[in-house]
Amino acid sequence: MAALSEEVLLVVKRVRQRKQDGTLYLMAERIAWGPEGKDRFTVSHLYADIRQKISPDGKAKIQLQLVLHTGESTNFHFSNESTALRDRDAAKDLLQQLLPKFKKRANKELEEKNRMLQEDPVLFQLYKDLVVSQVISAEEFWANRLSLNNVDHSASNNKQEVGISAAFLADIRPQTDGCNGLRYNLTSDIIESIFRTYPAVKQKYAENVPHNLTEKEFWTRFFQSHYFHRDRISTGLQDIFSECAKQDEKGLRSMVVQGVKNPLVDLLSLEDKTLDEGYGSNSMAPSTSSANKTVKENSNSAIIKRFNHHSAMVLAAGAGKKADAPNDQASETSSTDGNSRDSDFFQPPVKKVKIQEAIEYEDLHMENGKKTVALNLKKSDRYSHGPVPLLPQQYTTSQDIINSVNCIQQEIANYKPCLTQVMSSSTASSAIAALSPGGLLMQAGSQQAINQMVPSDVQGELKHLYTAAGELLRHFWSCFPVNTPFLEEKLTGHLEDMFQMAYNKFHAWQTRQMLRKT
Amino acid sequence: MVMASEDEVSLLVIVVDVNPIWWGQQANREPQFTLSKCLDAVMVMGNSHLVMTRNNKLAIIASHCQESHFLYPFKLWKSGDGHGDDNPSTSGDGKYELLSVANDIMAEEIKILMSRTEVKGNQTDTLLAGSLAKALCCILFIKMLTGQEIKSRILVIKAADDCALQYMNFMNVIFAAQKQSILIDACVLDSDSGLLQQACDITGGLYLMIPQKIALAQYLLWVFLPDSDQRSQLVLPPPVHVDYRAACFCHRNLIEIGYVCSVCLSIFCNFSPICTTCETAFKIPLPQMVKAKKKKLKPST
Repeated sequence: MAALSEEVLLVVKRVRQRKQDGTLYLMAERIAWGPEGKDRFTVSHLYADIRQKISPDGKAKIQLQLVLHTGESTNFHFSNESTALRDRDAAKDLLQQLLPKFKKRANKELEEKNRMLQEDPVLFQLYKDLVVSQVISAEEFWANRLSLNNVDHSASNNKQEVGISAAFLADIRPQTDGCNGLRYNLTSDIIESIFRTYPAVKQKYAENVPHNLTEKEFWTRFFQSHYFHRDRISTGLQDIFSECAKQDEKGLRSMVVQGVKNPLVDLLSLEDKTLDEGYGSNSMAPSTSSANKTVKENSNSAIIKRFNHHSAMVLAAGAGKKADAPNDQASETSSTDGNSRDSDFFQPPVKKVKIQEAIEYEDLHMENGKKTVALNLKKSDRYSHGPVPLLPQQYTTSQDIINSVNCIQQEIANYKPCLTQVMSSSTASSAIAALSPGGLLMQAGSQQAINQMVPSDVQGELKHLYTAAGELLRHFWSCFPVNTPFLEEKLTGHLEDMFQMAYNKFHAWQTRQMLRKT
Repeated sequence: MVMASEDEVSLLVIVVDVNPIWWGQQANREPQFTLSKCLDAVMVMGNSHLVMTRNNKLAIIASHCQESHFLYPFKLWKSGDGHGDDNPSTSGDGKYELLSVANDIMAEEIKILMSRTEVKGNQTDTLLAGSLAKALCCILFIKMLTGQEIKSRILVIKAADDCALQYMNFMNVIFAAQKQSILIDACVLDSDSGLLQQACDITGGLYLMIPQKIALAQYLLWVFLPDSDQRSQLVLPPPVHVDYRAACFCHRNLIEIGYVCSVCLSIFCNFSPICTTCETAFKIPLPQMVKAKKKKLKPST
């Protein structure tokens, strides 16, 4: 029944429902009522289901009525004589705070659904086909789709809040109205700024409007009050805003007491210290009791106090949603909840952060290298071996080795180069045949023999040229060694000319052949 | 006369595989082509290169199973130039002194190298990767000596089989050569070598496995004597298809399709839920585990 994890916000005893005594429980997400003596709830409604609450005043019975979206209504009768009204009001207030949260959610969901259906005609068609004709229930239909949207919601809720201009009060700029009046232009932005910065004013507004004053009257009073004006001398006038002034004073004092959590900022060194005439130091400690101050000093200090307070409030309002409890001005400058019993525990983190910010530069930190995995080779010698030879290696006995080596050593010991009989002409010509096109070694090339590639007349001419060149060379080589001047003369004069002529002839023949080809 | 640009230095480094065990066995297999004949062919090649242009330079490294030894030039670092030797080795045939000196030095050095061979059972592989590294250093040295950019290439004459242990070093050498624009040519006598195929492919050189060992000199002169500029105008053997398949880490077999760990990039032939190299657990739903990636090893950057 009651989930153990639910938080109970308010318990009201002696509440009757349908003529039965019982207890009313207000929890985080629902309101429930159980009869006395029993453990379980007979009535339980989620806040999301409640459309409105009605608390009729002025009747003999002190009641609270809940109207659900479905049209049902439930009546709770507070029957405790002494505290009935208070109980009822407490319950009412709590509901007042809780319901809007859930209401918005419910509304938002409906709005979202409508929007989706309107934007996507395909979806709309699907909806009509399936849900309207009762094939799928609406819950199932929206189950998959809405989950996506809720994510968007939370994302959009995190968008940045607009800050408050510090000059919002000055921006109001009263204009003269003609006949001795002043005209203040208040936009909703300015009103919002005022409410966010001065929660006290917001509270006053909530209390008085629309019961006691109209909005116009409220704001007129606001501007008329000395609270707003510069010289805020507490005059004790019957002013709804005199309380605000007192609260402000209190808040300011508590802020000063809390101080700033940054150990590097020393506010006290900013105190005004006047030097006496002649630039001597004034050893007298400045006194802060207002009795000693002159009137001028008083008003100066009042203005300065107001400036400081205003700035602090603007900063606090822009700092975020932590200042949720509107009356808790003391928590505005602290970043923790102000659990003073844990102040020692909480203080060091803030201090630490501030000090660390001051002494460290992110850029100068050691870079965290990327984590790499090292290559781990167990058998790296595998890379240095080549393939096993295809043919099996011949095995030689050690006797063979000895014999071979001896044989060779003998042979080479008697070695005398005989270069004139390196090979016979037949072996040479067979080798040449093998190397010529069509030969043994030239199989992969052209299959034609050289005889067939060159026409026979060219072959004949080439043979003649070759023989003539050979004859000239024979003459040339026979001149060596040059022992006689005759040989020398023959070499340098005669043969030189002959060679030149032979070369010219060959060159001419070559050109002719090439021209013939092209 | 039109000649190649006169100032350009072209350096050829010949790396000869003189693995004594393989050549000793070869002497029994094919007596007409022994290490002596091979060295003769190499000398012919070296001489030809030196004779092509005055600016050509030569270096020869013998790749043994115990060391890598410079056959030529030896006295370069001692006396500045190979000429002016006080060795009257002008064998009387009117040979250009540079060539005769070079040949003599080479013969002498190979004799010294072979005489100090010690027989060791566990060192039977040719130190080819080391020789290539020495060749690269030699090229760098000559570059610094001449102070200008030179065209250089390495010719590898390979006899014995590949050694799997040198794989990593080999690949590093290949990439270093590629970065330095040094060609690596390969002339393979016996069996195909996957590593050299990759080397030639990556650096832009020529790979040839010759059918007749006794015609080695002819093959060298025909295919490997022209430098890279001239090769574009010649009809030469076409490039071979290179097997770039990766080897799986578990069995070291060559695979075409495999599984690659996304953390440590190790290759496996079978799927396993935990990579054995880096111990990463994979959250692949097992029934649909056909997430095979065709892995092609492309070492060129």
